[in-house]
This record gives sequence, C-alpha cells and structure tokens, in this order.
Amino acid sequence: MKLISLALVVLLGGLFMAATADFPDWGDPASPASLHVSPRYIEKSMEETSVPNIVTSVLADYRGYDTMFETAVVFTAGVACFLLLRRRDPRPGPKRIYRHQATGVIVEMREEPAKEPSGGVFVRIDDDWVPHDLIIMNVCRLLIPFIQLFGLYVIAHGHHSPGGGFQGGVILGASIILLALSWDLRTAMARLGETATGLMSAVGVFIYAGVGALCLALGSNFLDYRALGPLMFVDPVHARSLGIFFVELGVGLAVMATMVLIYKNLASEGLMDQGL
Amino acid sequence: MSILVTVMLALGLVFFAGAAVGILRFPDFYSRLHPAGKMDTLGSFLMLAALAVQELRHFDLDHVLVAVKIMLIVLFYFIASPTATHAIVDAGLRAGQSAWTKPRGGRS
Repeated sequence: MKLISLALVVLLGGLFMAATADFPDWGDPASPASLHVSPRYIEKSMEETSVPNIVTSVLADYRGYDTMFETAVVFTAGVACFLLLRRRDPRPGPKRIYRHQATGVIVEMREEPAKEPSGGVFVRIDDDWVPHDLIIMNVCRLLIPFIQLFGLYVIAHGHHSPGGGFQGGVILGASIILLALSWDLRTAMARLGETATGLMSAVGVFIYAGVGALCLALGSNFLDYRALGPLMFVDPVHARSLGIFFVELGVGLAVMATMVLIYKNLASEGLMDQGL
Repeated sequence: MSILVTVMLALGLVFFAGAAVGILRFPDFYSRLHPAGKMDTLGSFLMLAALAVQELRHFDLDHVLVAVKIMLIVLFYFIASPTATHAIVDAGLRAGQSAWTKPRGGRS
C-alpha cells in the first residue's frame, strides 16, 4: 500500500513538474496573462475607479464577485469550525477552580450544572494553570490598541497602499488572539464574545452582498458601485472608490470575526470556557 | 551626515552578524536567546535610526514624517522584541528546559 502511494506521489509530482515546463517564463511580457487584461487594468483603473492601488481595484471592483465569494468562503469556514467543534455539554464532572481574590484561597467545584461562586470575589483559574506573567500581560495591554489601530488603518488605507480588508481583518483578529494568549481566553471572550463573533462574520458578508444589492436596487448591475454616486453626493468615479471602501469594511469584519471564532473553538476544545 | 549614516549601518551589520554567530555558537536554549533578544534589537535600532537620519537630509514635512514613522517602528520594536524573548524564556522554564552548565572536568 505504501509502495503504491509512494509511486502515485512520485508519478503525480513528475507530471506536475513536466507541466510547469510548459508555463511561460516568470514575468514574460509576451505571456497570455500579460497581453490582454493586465495592460487594461494598469492603464485604465485609475481613471475608471480613482483607486491608486491597482490591486485593490482589481480585487474589489473588476473582480468583485470573486472577492465576495472568497469572503463567503471565510464565513463558511468559520461556521464549519463552529459546527464541528462547539460543544454545549460540558465534559462529565469538569473541575472548575476558583481563587478567592482577597485571601488567595483556592476552591474547587464539581457540581452540575455549572454554577459560578457568587459575589464577584472569586476568579476562575484554568485547569492547566498558566501563571500569567506581569511583563507579558502589561506589554500586550500596551501594544494591542496600537495593533488594532494599525489594523483599521490597513483596512481604510487599502486604496493607497498595500492592504485591504483581508489583511486588516487578520491584524485585528490577531490582536484579539494575542489578548487571549497573554491574558486568558475568558478575558478575550469578555471583550469579543461568541455571539458577537458569529454575528460579525455574518454581518461582514451581508455588508458586501448588501452593497452589491444596493447597486442593483439603484438600477445598475450587481456590485457596480457607480450607482451609489447620488446616494453619497459624489461623481460615479469616486463612488466606485467609496464602494470599494465599504466592501473592504465588510471583508475586514468577516475575516476578523472568523479568525477569532476559529481560534476560540480550537483553543478551548469547543467549550469556550478556558484554554490557551 | 552620510558618514554618520554609514557608520550606523555598518555598526548595525556588526551587531546582526554577532547575533547570528551567537545563535549558532551558544550552547543551549537560554543563552541562544540572549543574542537573539538583545543584539537583534540593537542592530535593528542602529539600522533604522540610520535610515531615519538619511531621511532627514531633506528637511521638510514629508521627510520628517517618514523619519518619525521609522522611529516609531524602532519604539515598538524595543517594546515588543525583549518581551517576546522574555515570553519564550518563560515558556522554556515552564516546560522544564534546564539551563546549560559547564561539564565537570571536561571542556565545553
């Protein structure tokens, strides 16, 4: 069996290698990809969409459908992760450890169903207890706002410089994950809960499709942002640029929420109560 | 000005080279993190500061802004890099990695 699979892998690898020999050279100006579409984008995208960053204009305007369904794929991945990993029933007799804040006494609870000690004077401690380090916690607390600011900047500035919804969304999601790593999962859950992440990733896709549908309602093609011009009191060319911005916002929201959702499900084994 | 920039770039390269040699040559996990954490930080400070000085040659708003941004990168690097090293050391200690000691009676 191993031999057969090895032979198959070698055969397929060889076929792939042979096929790549037929590709045009890297960056060859005479290759089919560089002949028809690319010069059109390079020459016309500025005057048609007023987006200085051609990549963004291609991504969100000329190939808007493509990007919309990419966002839908991200959303689907989040939903799939949720459906596969999330567990409602706690494990049989989970041990929950609490520390009394004033005295430092450690309390262990096993009762069913899970009941929190009252009064807010107890702090939950993780099973695989991570003694949180003062330096790491405080430095992360210092840095996370700047990381999030940078993520927003990347989303909003995708028109002019490298960036856009996907990248900015990943930075925002990573900042939440950093919070979960340096503090604990429950702190991150308190900032961005489970309902919020699920809702936000759906809302992101909805914003994208909604902008497209709005164009349709205003008597233009789906995702043809020109139609938004009268709504925002700008000329059609600028409307394209602004439309891309709204769409990027949706993408960023969906990507961030999905990343956080997947992380939380993976890290807490689907229980969302404690984890890395 | 350009002498200063060149000297700083060269010094930064020296520190980076030292860090690379240190990571390869030091005997264990913790001592390897020492060059990785400190010399990389200093090396990138020198090189980025050199770029900022280079940017300040044309003294107008655009160039000063770029220089300020570069120094902001340095600031964040100075906060983040030692903390990352600290976190790695912390994780190593918690995982039970023991520190290297000189073998008794033998050469290292």
